[in-house]
Amino acid sequence: MNKVKKTKYKPAPVRETLIQMKDISELMIDLAYSAALFHNKMLAEEVMELETKIDDLVYLLNMNLMLAARDKRDAEQLAGVAKVGSLTNAISDAAADIASLVLHDIKVHPVVREVFQRAEEHLTRVVIDENSFMAGKTVDDLELAAEVGADIIALRRGMFWDINPDKELLMPGDVVVARGTKDGLNSLVKAARAEVDHLE
Amino acid sequence: MSSPDRAHWERITEDLVTLKDTSEMMIDLAYSALLLNSSFLAEEVMMLEEQMDELHIAFQKRVLSRTEEETKPEDLLGIIRMGNVTERIADAAAEIAEVVLRGEEPHRVLQMVIQDAEETVERAVVGENSLIAGKTLQDAEIADETGMWVLVIRRGSLWIRPKPTTRLFPGDVIIASGYSEGEEDFKQLVSGEK
Repeated sequence: MNKVKKTKYKPAPVRETLIQMKDISELMIDLAYSAALFHNKMLAEEVMELETKIDDLVYLLNMNLMLAARDKRDAEQLAGVAKVGSLTNAISDAAADIASLVLHDIKVHPVVREVFQRAEEHLTRVVIDENSFMAGKTVDDLELAAEVGADIIALRRGMFWDINPDKELLMPGDVVVARGTKDGLNSLVKAARAEVDHLE
Repeated sequence: MSSPDRAHWERITEDLVTLKDTSEMMIDLAYSALLLNSSFLAEEVMMLEEQMDELHIAFQKRVLSRTEEETKPEDLLGIIRMGNVTERIADAAAEIAEVVLRGEEPHRVLQMVIQDAEETVERAVVGENSLIAGKTLQDAEIADETGMWVLVIRRGSLWIRPKPTTRLFPGDVIIASGYSEGEEDFKQLVSGEK
């Protein structure tokens, strides 16, 4: 079992919290399938990290919902919102179940991987090296989608996750998750590791 | 690996890709239904859920059916679990749609900024004489022309997740969201009727 911590109340806007949970759960699904198809334990562990984050957020959401209810009508409406929060959590649990296959060392059949590779875009995870030219730039500035056909869909800095980062400055040590074509991801990885000083 | 065995695995993977695509489309549609408070979108999700159940059972049967070679339990475990996950995701999406269908107005805390700007969901059938009939989504430029974004395309009992290369045919039902001022343009473009 990994660390289970008490979630402390803090005021959080319900709509933003719910949207954040939705974004995270969808990222988890993408990461989990990639982890399984490429038997990548690092990706699987990222999924597990995000799962604990969702668990936190669902508590926070519910606390804020409880305080928002003032009368019967509020209660009727907010019960639906709470339900959606717990369903988003259920989606993230499902993603975590795929990731746990990888952590239990269960590999998918090679043909499964092959067919998926034909059908799907790829996902990868890379750490920004301190000598990478990408460090100090925002995701928007890099114009990755136009330049190489890949895009950064999330970044993690320590325990802090940013989903769909646009204006965020990339820093050395940031873990970025990128989606795109195989070639696009290759050039992005090389640039992030400072093996090359531009996007090729 | 013998070729019948390979064909078997290819077939079940294609089924899995369909399950995965369907479940993800359902989530998209379910959240859209919620945030736009659209019961007809929620109903589409419920219909997809029925289709999903059938697909999933067919998939499981196929996975567990005889293969030419001796199959490792790990191989089956992995793919069955991935199938189950798509099913659980689809169930969650259907339950989100159910929240919408219960008919409670979404609480003010949920109301999106775009909803204030009167965002709506619309559907229209591609007409025989429509300019977009026979075109791919990319060439149809629906968003450029009308400001409405295609959420899903229904062709008979098949729901199609929009991709740039998806081709549109007469009879296709296109469901799109956007600002309400684009509604009329959208209907005209898709149906081809003035």
